[in-house]
Amino acid sequence: MTMIKTSSWRILRNALQNFQRNIWLSLATTIIMTLTLIMTSFLYFLNVLGSEVLNTIEEKVDLSATFKDDIAEDQISIIAEDIRSRADVQEARVVTSEQALEDFRARHADDPFIEESLRELEKNPLPSTLFIIAADPRQYQTIASELETERYEPFIESVNFENSRTVIERLIAVMSGVRNIGLVTTVVLASLVIMIMFNTIRLAIYSFREEIDIMRLVGASNWFIRGPFIIEAVMVALLSVIVSTFVLYPVLETINPEVQRFFFSGQAEPFSIYSYALSHWTTVIGLEALLAVGLAVFSSLVAIRRYLR
Amino acid sequence: MISFSNVSKLYSEDGAALRSVTLKIPTGDFVSIVGQSGAGKSTLLKLLSAEERPSEGSIIIDGWDITQIKKWQVPYLRRQVGVIFQDFKLLPKRTAFENVAFAMEVGGAKTKEIRDSVPQILKLVNLLEKAEMYPNEMSGGERQRVSIARALAYKPQILLADEPTGNLDALHSWDIVQLLIKINKLGTTVLLATHNDDVVNALKKRVVTLSKGQVVSDQEAGTYKL
Repeated sequence: MTMIKTSSWRILRNALQNFQRNIWLSLATTIIMTLTLIMTSFLYFLNVLGSEVLNTIEEKVDLSATFKDDIAEDQISIIAEDIRSRADVQEARVVTSEQALEDFRARHADDPFIEESLRELEKNPLPSTLFIIAADPRQYQTIASELETERYEPFIESVNFENSRTVIERLIAVMSGVRNIGLVTTVVLASLVIMIMFNTIRLAIYSFREEIDIMRLVGASNWFIRGPFIIEAVMVALLSVIVSTFVLYPVLETINPEVQRFFFSGQAEPFSIYSYALSHWTTVIGLEALLAVGLAVFSSLVAIRRYLR
Repeated sequence: MISFSNVSKLYSEDGAALRSVTLKIPTGDFVSIVGQSGAGKSTLLKLLSAEERPSEGSIIIDGWDITQIKKWQVPYLRRQVGVIFQDFKLLPKRTAFENVAFAMEVGGAKTKEIRDSVPQILKLVNLLEKAEMYPNEMSGGERQRVSIARALAYKPQILLADEPTGNLDALHSWDIVQLLIKINKLGTTVLLATHNDDVVNALKKRVVTLSKGQVVSDQEAGTYKL
């Protein structure tokens, strides 16, 4: 047991020495590894973001009815109540024209041109709208037909249905395109990492060939020779995980408001990719570490094999 | 006891380094192996440290058939068989002390054990006062003594010396041979491969002569003849 402890300590010490002696090579490998991890993480977050956007859109509005301009609020409430009482309707929410205008203003708060245009219009151009969520997506058609009957004809300007379906489908197509590009990029970067790690370790082994030769001569076990190189690779991997985490989180924090405005505007509690990353830090860092250590150990084992016949 | 029975080593179809060598070396013996370059001296030693595997025959060291040795057992064999070379094979960036300590570290010796043993071994080869010197600050003879000290780190049963005096002048050569005799007297079996006739003749010990991979003569207290 003490022998194993002593040997482990020596292997670790040799690994640290190797890292230090080949400092520039080690740094180059760390940088490439870090880039791969950052790429992969962004791909991961893109996926999360994509499915979140899809969810919101699916939930958002599948069916809406815009009211005619001159319908009183009381009348609107009655109709909303009427619809809400249906068994196949899960939720019916009214956004009045004033509310819609307010939201619109808030969304374009930093656009002076829009502000200007709104002021020039004497009347609120936005209609009051009833947003309906069905208990079951298959019931939308029935609800839509009901809204188009004569009963509601005097109040309702138009029934908007099916629009979001195409948007969702288009979005899925775009998402899978982005995902494929990201995947290809990741694979390319990962192969680069393997090749660079591979060569780094081969160079390191080359500069240690005398020592390796002598180690074999005096009866070092293969693990004693191999150990430091593998540990060095793992150190590079873990260092890359740390660096990429320190890059990733601030970047996510910075882009989060932009992302929220773009994808989730108008929501009371918009999805935050930064909070997601914070609350899922174990998964994010765990996956990064798994990928990095896997790549590192794989390439170092392959690189060393031929020196240990 | 080391015993070779019918050992052959073929490098290619027509080039045999050793042919049907049968040889018995009792524990504690001092054997000079002589012969021209290419006679198979180095191959014979490499078979003993499992650097090479024989094509035919078996080699048994104290009942251990090392021709059947598993890959993972090789390091254990090498800790029982010390080797020294013509070109010393020392680590240039380590002192004499560290070179010897390195071999012990590799074998998993405790730090305290290393601290205690290395000076003793260096004293045996008469280099204690140069323990902190680097190989390039030493003479050829001194470097060879460091390499002997390293080979002794595990207290091996067998010491293989492959042309240890090849790079040394007569005076230093004799110095090294004296040291090998001393180590032999402490109980280690020594196999000395050399073509230095002065050394062999002065030793007055067993001489095995190889020619074209075969044993052509094996004499007690022999002399160098080709």
